[in-house]
Amino acid sequence: MKKLYLHIIILFLLKANLSFAQTIDSLYQNAFVQLSQMLDGKQKLDFKKAVFLVENAYENGNLDSVVFNQNIKFLANLTEKVIENNQLIYNEKDSVLVKKLAGIFYVMKDSVPMINQSGKRFVHIPFTYDFNDIFGKLDWRQMFVSKLLETHTGNCHSLPYLYKMIAQELGIGEQVHLALAPNHFYIKTRSEAYGWYNTELTSGIFPNDAWLMASGYVHLDAVVNGVYMKALDEKQSIALCMVDLAQAYQKNKFYDTDFVIKCADKALEVYPNLVNAMLVKTEATGHKIDNILTYKYNTDFSKVLQYEETAKMFYRLQDELKKIHQLGYRQMPEEMYLQWLVSLKEEKEKYSNKKIRNFTKSQ
Amino acid sequence: MNTLRKTSKKKFQKNLWIILFNFMFMYVANAQIQNPYNLAPQVPQPASFQTITVGNPNIYNPNAVNPQTLMNLEQQRIQQQNQRIIQATLQQQQNRRQQLQQIYAELENENRHINYSLPSHLNKKGASAYLKAFDSLQKFSDDYPLKKAVFIVENAFYENKHSYEEFDKVIKNIGKFLLRKMDEFGYDKNSNLAKNLILFRFFSDTLQFNKKGLMHLPINYDFNDAFGDQNWTKMFVTKLLSTNTGQCSSMPRLYLILAEEIGAEAYLAFSPNHSYIRFPDDNLHWYNVELTNHMFTTNSMILSSGYVKSEALVNKIYMNNLSKKQLLAQTFVELASGYIHKYGYDTFVEKIVSKALEIDNKNINANMALSNYYTVRFEYVMKQLGINPRNHNELQNIRYFPQAITLLKQTNQQYKKIDDLGFEFMSQEAYDNWLNSLKKMHEMEKSKQIENRIKLNVNKLKD
Repeated sequence: MKKLYLHIIILFLLKANLSFAQTIDSLYQNAFVQLSQMLDGKQKLDFKKAVFLVENAYENGNLDSVVFNQNIKFLANLTEKVIENNQLIYNEKDSVLVKKLAGIFYVMKDSVPMINQSGKRFVHIPFTYDFNDIFGKLDWRQMFVSKLLETHTGNCHSLPYLYKMIAQELGIGEQVHLALAPNHFYIKTRSEAYGWYNTELTSGIFPNDAWLMASGYVHLDAVVNGVYMKALDEKQSIALCMVDLAQAYQKNKFYDTDFVIKCADKALEVYPNLVNAMLVKTEATGHKIDNILTYKYNTDFSKVLQYEETAKMFYRLQDELKKIHQLGYRQMPEEMYLQWLVSLKEEKEKYSNKKIRNFTKSQ
Repeated sequence: MNTLRKTSKKKFQKNLWIILFNFMFMYVANAQIQNPYNLAPQVPQPASFQTITVGNPNIYNPNAVNPQTLMNLEQQRIQQQNQRIIQATLQQQQNRRQQLQQIYAELENENRHINYSLPSHLNKKGASAYLKAFDSLQKFSDDYPLKKAVFIVENAFYENKHSYEEFDKVIKNIGKFLLRKMDEFGYDKNSNLAKNLILFRFFSDTLQFNKKGLMHLPINYDFNDAFGDQNWTKMFVTKLLSTNTGQCSSMPRLYLILAEEIGAEAYLAFSPNHSYIRFPDDNLHWYNVELTNHMFTTNSMILSSGYVKSEALVNKIYMNNLSKKQLLAQTFVELASGYIHKYGYDTFVEKIVSKALEIDNKNINANMALSNYYTVRFEYVMKQLGINPRNHNELQNIRYFPQAITLLKQTNQQYKKIDDLGFEFMSQEAYDNWLNSLKKMHEMEKSKQIENRIKLNVNKLKD
């Protein structure tokens, strides 16, 4: 009798586990379908929603969309209050836009004093850089906007994403562009008075393009080819979310390399020079070849050219890697990245854009 | 010039009076319209109606007149009165419209005397040399001798007083000298790297002319008036040849002329406020030559100025080889620059610059020249209209002058184009700082390394 119980329990557990895996997988599938619809023009391009779908898939569907949206809404409202209560001297035609941009920056990078309905004083603390596990190697949640909202610390992925989401909430999402640098995301915007300018949320500085090129890992060809430092449009930003989805999927220890490749291909469809997608794709293709060799032919990678199926894939992989190199991508080690990131603060005089005016603290 | 200013001042005063009158009239006309409307509600008041019927029995017989009819009569009277007022108002409005039209017409008439294009300088002494130069350059096909193009531009400034044959002879002699030197050093004459090395050494080294000990000394940077603000001839290759000093325009230009002479492959490239040389070695590895400092620079040294935007790289306005065709466009810009320095802006400048843009629409210097031209032209018109374009409120007044609006739009569009191309203004001070920063120990060492590598490679070819 005991044995039977045990069997039943085991059976039940197995089944539960199975259905559990099923739901997560379907969360990814659902996210892929929705993002694809956005990219195909069948659904409205909605960056905030796209980010939520990706993070929610990784969190097994445990992310509360109401709280998530409320948080963004709150920050947008706070921005509006900051604009109302502070003066920014800017008289060009696009002053409404510029004030909103300055407002978001202020809310994200400065302490904002607030008073609630009963007259109690609060301070909204700024979002700062989290120097732990910057690439999410130990915990992929490090990359997430939901983590940033919860802890008020984030990285070069979550900080610019949040900026763009607040902008979307304020109706200027399309004027706020994400841009790529090696291992890095930042914000590009344009105004009548300043022209194109960069906003760096990790350090809260407006760097000039020279800083981005000074990392030593931005090949000139990469800039010319639009791999780096290009202002991404709405579609390309969603393509970026698609790459995030593929990466989250991999981090969730799913081994369906085809899903990863499918995501990357979809992203490359709208943004052929998206080097992040290419890298994810080549990595997954490598795994796929390895899997075929191990499970189908019971051998290892050294025999890759012996079988027509894998040889074909391998040659294609080589071509893709060549293309990545030609586009100007160079791999940047983590410590070099940190050094470069910090150089902005250390050499602020050299690298910051002195034209930008911002809200100054009123108190 | 003085009389011109006076007449435009008179005209401006007259305009001002008309504008002032216009405003005053509008104000008065408005007041006139408002008055009848203010009176109107007072007429049908029941209080006045009461007093008339009861208080004046001598005029109206209260028994004979039915109060109802009286009311009707009174209402008729009011209606008629209203009608009259409306009629009068309409009439007034029509009059006002007519008068305004008259004034606009007068203003319009006045406008015909406003010059919407800059006065020409072509009748001035020596200006015809520029017309001739422009015609000559226009006849150039894609494969033209660069030395000829450069000479035409410089000679126009000198009012065609120099002889091309002489200039050509000097260039040819240097070319022969360089080839002789290559033989002497044992450089491979088929190697592009070796040819560029001898060119670099001509600018940076002391080379012996002949056995008598005559030397060719390095060509140095002329720190004095490097942008030719005081003396435009400072920019010229002819000046470089006669003084053995040059700057960032003449030095690369001579390099390219000599490269053409000895059959070397080399290109001009721009960076903010600057131009330099790029050439490939025999394995298509590219080098940057900074002649002002006698250095080989790396891309990061050029980027370190901080004024190269990513958009500028995408649009290839900086750090990109200029083709022979693009170089011709730049030559047109230089022709225009000389003309501007000598005479100032006029429609001929627009003509030259437009030609440059027709060949190379993204040439940053041509685009800058065009935007300067538009700015000067707009300010010239504003001066005639008595409007200060830098005063935001005053500028609103250009709404009465559709032609001026068109000019402003054109100017702003050109500014936007330059912005889109990724241009960013670099001050003279920032430029000097950058150029000096290249001479720091670290950069000099790097340059020396590159130079040594080139020498090593050229020497390898000897065997």
